[in-house]
Amino acid sequence: MVAHVMLGRVKRDTTGSLATLGPADEADLIARCKADDRAAHDEFYHRFRRQAAGNLYRVLGDRTDLDDLVQEVFVIAFRGLERFRGDARLSTWLYRICVNVALGKIRTRKRRPAAIGVADLDATSADPSLTERPETPDRTLERRQEQERVYKALELLAPKKRIVLYLHEIEGLDLKEIAYLVDSNPVTVRTRLFYARREFYRIIAGEDPPEKAAPDDGAEGAEP
Amino acid sequence: MSGHVAPHRWADLWAGRVGAPERKIMERHAQSCRACARVRQRVTRASDSFATIRTQPSPEASWDSIRARVHWSVSTQRRAALRRPRPAYGWLAGALAAGVAVALVSGPAPTLAPASQPIAQQEPPARPAAPPPAALVGLVSRASGDVMVDGVRPADLFARALTTGSVIATAEGRVDVQFGDKSAFSLGPRSTIELRRFDAQTIELAIDGTVDVAVAPRTGGQRFLVDAGAQVVEVRGTQFRVAHDKGLTSVACRHGLVAVSDGSGKVLVGDARRVRVTSERPLSGEPVVELSSDELATLTQATPHALPLWDPAALVQSSAPLEIATAGHRDVRVDGLELGLAPLRVRVMPGRHTVETADSAGRFRRAGWVDVAASPHGARLEIPAEPPPTSGITERRHQLRAGIDQPRLGRCMRSIAKAGLTGTYVQVEISVDAQGAVGFLNVIDTDLPSATSSCVREVLADVRFGRGAAATWRERIDL
Repeated sequence: MVAHVMLGRVKRDTTGSLATLGPADEADLIARCKADDRAAHDEFYHRFRRQAAGNLYRVLGDRTDLDDLVQEVFVIAFRGLERFRGDARLSTWLYRICVNVALGKIRTRKRRPAAIGVADLDATSADPSLTERPETPDRTLERRQEQERVYKALELLAPKKRIVLYLHEIEGLDLKEIAYLVDSNPVTVRTRLFYARREFYRIIAGEDPPEKAAPDDGAEGAEP
Repeated sequence: MSGHVAPHRWADLWAGRVGAPERKIMERHAQSCRACARVRQRVTRASDSFATIRTQPSPEASWDSIRARVHWSVSTQRRAALRRPRPAYGWLAGALAAGVAVALVSGPAPTLAPASQPIAQQEPPARPAAPPPAALVGLVSRASGDVMVDGVRPADLFARALTTGSVIATAEGRVDVQFGDKSAFSLGPRSTIELRRFDAQTIELAIDGTVDVAVAPRTGGQRFLVDAGAQVVEVRGTQFRVAHDKGLTSVACRHGLVAVSDGSGKVLVGDARRVRVTSERPLSGEPVVELSSDELATLTQATPHALPLWDPAALVQSSAPLEIATAGHRDVRVDGLELGLAPLRVRVMPGRHTVETADSAGRFRRAGWVDVAASPHGARLEIPAEPPPTSGITERRHQLRAGIDQPRLGRCMRSIAKAGLTGTYVQVEISVDAQGAVGFLNVIDTDLPSATSSCVREVLADVRFGRGAAATWRERIDL
């Protein structure tokens, strides 16, 4: 029941709509969705749409095809609700779908490289609570460039490594939480994360990324 | 510590995952090693930006459009599943399996039961109930003015799937919804319609206002009903109009047969006939009268717009709305098909479409063409306002014709004539004031090459007008 206690962070949705959805409401909503109640589908969509879009946006770093991806997430969710057993919060389960959809998108992008719209990330719209006073334009630009550098470095990682690294370093999730989201086990995640961090920070440091000797997506070995 | 610090260790240090002794060693090393100090700075800056990334708010998206597409995808899949019901052989397989199991349990040498005895005492499981009828989906094929769906003015009107429970309302405009092959309805101005039932077996629409319906012949067991207050209109394949306003209901049939019923009885309305029912009098006492030619023409004009091919799943992806914007209300034709008064939006297939608008005399003239790509946003064509009609056009037109320098015009056309091209034309828009001065002279349409067209325009621009009425008009000159 890791997922039940995890991802309080998921409630970061700016609308705050998730915070108002208690377990009873959630169960009721799921039941109505399963009964093919269109109003329930609309409510589900309305409650989680911003969360889904935000997750996808942050994982991918740009809003290209965001509409299509959000659509994909909800289509998968509605089709999969029948199989939803309630062993995780609905928001967590949806986050898992987002991660998988984002992973698919990253893989597609790797096959067909496109311009990365990282500049699209609007640094000025960050959570105002984090900035006590207005930023100078220089600082804003600097921060935006830094984000751009981070996403460019992420682009160079293998998709599975990228997701694991993102969830750990940026979202701050622990190994069990990540393992649930990527449908893996914590040991595998730990190994993958080790190599991903090493590779990522080498790129950030301006060093050449390590040779492909490091296990990639399929790495199952233990951390050295 | 020997050698340099690995970059990811600086990230660990930043995150507080390094013990105090090692931290001291690392910091001491950074003071003496410029390369590591630089790496540390870069890693720290990147780590600092994580918090910003983490708190990025959700971007705005086309929420309504996404919702419609999600609903569409999910309902399409559901319909597809309903259309292909698996043969209900499960009970048979179960019975066979049970029989085999009984045989195995009963021993190695089973004996056949006498023919008079039943093989299995248990009752065969009941056959599963027939699946519910497949849900239908309607798509907007044409819209003008404000249209509300389920209480909102959707930006993605053409991407919306209209299903059971949808309520559509119009303001001054109208909206056409296609729901099958050769089946569509057109909701008139200031009307509301509710799709009470919308499935393959029964379509039941509740109307308050005016609706024109064209529906393909129903197969056995299929029903098409329009509820208009106390009256119910039922058809099996026809084109008709139902107008319901408070106590008055009018049903007019262009072709086919319509049955109108209420508590008092039933009346059949045939080709080119209509019946009017008020709440004060019983339906059975109302006469069915023939439609006048004007009424019939109005019905013909109100035929709902439907695309020739109906595949809703493919249409959403492969068609697009074309918006035709006009300054005033003008009749338009797209690819030769009259669509009614613009401004309007119409669903078209991708490709190049020719748009014509009617002038003040009711003649359709080419307004331009537009390339439409398959996208939810579609394309837009703006048609400039028609010049206001002015008096004295006939006089000015004569002056123009008489004043053209024909030999010079002939020289302009020489190269074209030598090439064997005949039947060419140029259409100009010209404005002349009361003093005879030309305000403007624009070539608005021609099939001439640009050099020849310019030469012709110069010839026309040199025409001198005398005093007279001010006029602005369009002139087509066949060359």
